[in-house]
Amino acid sequence: MEILVQTLADGLVIGAFYSLIALGYTMVFGIIKLLNFAHGDLYMLGAFVGYSLLSMIGGGDSGMGLFGILVVLLLTMVIVGIAGMGIERIAYRPLLLAPRLSILITAIGVSLFLENGAMIAWGAQYQVYPLQLSHAGINLFGATITYTQIGLVLISALLMLGLHLFINRTLYGKAMRAIAHDQTACQLMGINVHKVIGLTFFIGASLAAGAGTMAGAYYGTVNFMMGFIIGLKAFTAAVLGGIGSIPGAMLGGLLLGLMETAGTFVFGGSWKDVVAFSLLILILVLKPTGIMGEKVTERM
Amino acid sequence: MTALLTIESLQAHYGKIAALKGISLQVNQGEIVALLGSNGAGKSTTLKAISGIVRPTSGEIALAGKSLVGCAPHQIVEAGVIHVPEGRRIFAGLTVRENLELGGFTKRREKAAVKEGIEQAFALFPRLQERSQQLGGTLSGGEQQMLAICRALMARPKLLMLDEPSMGLAPIIVQEIMNIIKEINRQGTTILLIEQNAKAALKLAHRGYVMETGRIVMENTADVLRTDDSIVKAYLGA
Repeated sequence: MEILVQTLADGLVIGAFYSLIALGYTMVFGIIKLLNFAHGDLYMLGAFVGYSLLSMIGGGDSGMGLFGILVVLLLTMVIVGIAGMGIERIAYRPLLLAPRLSILITAIGVSLFLENGAMIAWGAQYQVYPLQLSHAGINLFGATITYTQIGLVLISALLMLGLHLFINRTLYGKAMRAIAHDQTACQLMGINVHKVIGLTFFIGASLAAGAGTMAGAYYGTVNFMMGFIIGLKAFTAAVLGGIGSIPGAMLGGLLLGLMETAGTFVFGGSWKDVVAFSLLILILVLKPTGIMGEKVTERM
Repeated sequence: MTALLTIESLQAHYGKIAALKGISLQVNQGEIVALLGSNGAGKSTTLKAISGIVRPTSGEIALAGKSLVGCAPHQIVEAGVIHVPEGRRIFAGLTVRENLELGGFTKRREKAAVKEGIEQAFALFPRLQERSQQLGGTLSGGEQQMLAICRALMARPKLLMLDEPSMGLAPIIVQEIMNIIKEINRQGTTILLIEQNAKAALKLAHRGYVMETGRIVMENTADVLRTDDSIVKAYLGA
């Protein structure tokens, strides 16, 4: 029981991070059919922007409290969101009508650019995050669930709820779903498609950045390559849930986090990535459309 | 008769292939104009060029004297031209109501107008109201066409362009759609209509143009076209 609860708690936290990143993957794929391999690096960028902002206000010892941390989180999300829009404008928009392969290769280029840019800006070594979160917690069946874990999962859940409401209740959210169906018809309805695509990148990037800042504070260190593996994991989560599906990305992230944590317990920590990527291969072989995905026609 | 839409020597190409070889036409305020011709004559391309989906190579398109060439598609909708594409292309995964709301995208700051537009759509086609929470993809072909027309009307167009509204529909539904088009026109919207069903189109229209391989080969009032020998032979199946 202790192990089950601990696995569940640890898995939910990492799963929430995966979900937040997977959402950006799946939204961008849904709207312009691009696998944005630079997306994991926006998570890294979020971690570093949060790192710089926290350092600026004096780190965790400044007595700024929870409110200060939330402000930093929001600010980071806005800054990285704008960066995400910039990437779309500069790197992807000129290629929207080009063959899909060109834009995919560009995404890999953007990823290298962000990684190396971050290395130049913040250094190649591991940086200790200026904020250490509390390890105090509650005891449940012998397992320890920290307040930090509860807080992180709550914030992630709130972000996802916000996204869900945005997508389903607002006109721009509906336009996003409509563009995923039929871009030309949207243009004919007077929808400024580029604006909506830009907005999609903003939202995707800011969700990844939120996860990055939270992960930086949770794990305690950040590094310019931290987005690489987690980007692939989030991709796995998006495929697991059904790429293009927003609820699928949320579910896929949580499931992947739980399975990975369980796998770590069974096989040992060094097998963590093996578990995740074996899962990816299994889904691709057995059910490529994922749990909630629709059949998509390849446009490449 | 004041001209609403004027097109002067419009050319458009798909790669190296010329789809429009310099067409000129005019749609006057309050008219229904039919664009006739066989497949590949360039009718759909003409509409796509007007709505900004296809970039013309040369020539002029103007709405009430204001040039539309080079405008983005959403700016053209804002100017008052809306295009219901071939095959209707409603958003299958969105509800009927959401489809209508997106039709009113350019009017999003006028909440009352959007609400009124939806009410008018439901008054025009009560069946859409019954199905307002249903996904667009679950509607029948005729209902989808009705939804596509209502969705377009949400933008309060000056000029409504319809590409093959009768395609694939049962004759009784075609008649219903044609009646609605007439009614929309009577309420003051100018209409440019493409139809394979030339008989039905000429019954409805005031004037018509006939296209062949990227050129306009004939233009006249609908009454004359209806009795023209070559038209009767080619399109009306005498």
